[in-house]
Amino acid sequence: MKKSLLFTYGLLIALTLFTALISKSDFLSNSVILLIMFFSAIKFLLVAFQFMELKKANPFWRLSLSFVLGLLVLVIVLIK
Amino acid sequence: METLKINYKNIYYPPGGILMWIIIFLELITFGMAIVAFVYYGSEQAELFHQSRLRLNTTFGAINTVFLLTSGFCMANAVQEFKGNNTAKSSLYFKLTMLGGLLFLILKSLEYYHKIESGISLETNIFFTFYWLLTGFHLIHVLIGLVILAWTNYGMTKKNSDTQIEDVEACAAFWHMCDLIWLLLFPVLYLIF
Repeated sequence: MKKSLLFTYGLLIALTLFTALISKSDFLSNSVILLIMFFSAIKFLLVAFQFMELKKANPFWRLSLSFVLGLLVLVIVLIK
Repeated sequence: METLKINYKNIYYPPGGILMWIIIFLELITFGMAIVAFVYYGSEQAELFHQSRLRLNTTFGAINTVFLLTSGFCMANAVQEFKGNNTAKSSLYFKLTMLGGLLFLILKSLEYYHKIESGISLETNIFFTFYWLLTGFHLIHVLIGLVILAWTNYGMTKKNSDTQIEDVEACAAFWHMCDLIWLLLFPVLYLIF
């Protein structure tokens, strides 16, 4: 078992629990929503780059995925 | 078994294969557009979406996220073990990956059961129309992923197996795609409204 995979997994679980906890409040301010979406984007990139090994791929694939994710999160935050 | 060296830096050979990545991008864009539409309607009917979101079980959603992430972690290890020509250990990780997927399905079914029992359907309101469609389509992807996992695991463990690392990586890429979609659905459906 690779240590980097284990570390990534620990980080993903910690971020999931943290985002679930901060969303417990009845009223969510814009900064909390921004934080939730930011951590979700980090989790997305961790799975793609570490678990799917996209870090080894051509920059085209890394940049394309980051662009699609960035655009999606930006649109969600702006509309919300 | 030969150890293949794939040049992942080549634009035509991302881990999992170029065709799988084209599918992943198409899926992400399709789900992404549906999520944007959901958030747009949410901004128009903020109170309705807030009240509807409170009827979802965030704990179930978080536990399901943990199941899928754990499953993805096992899948990544299965690929590493297969690359190291350790088929038996890779197969064990495949089975653990499938277990994670099955646990996700069980909890999702339980969540659906509670919703149906409470009278929440596709027609309850626009929030739940999106909820059923988005989580339902994702569930279909998980089911297809489980079939692909079972088939690949069967292929790599049978005698005179001709399963190559590209096959295992393509299977892994599809499974991780289910993770990626869920990582977008979970915060938008369960948390931000």
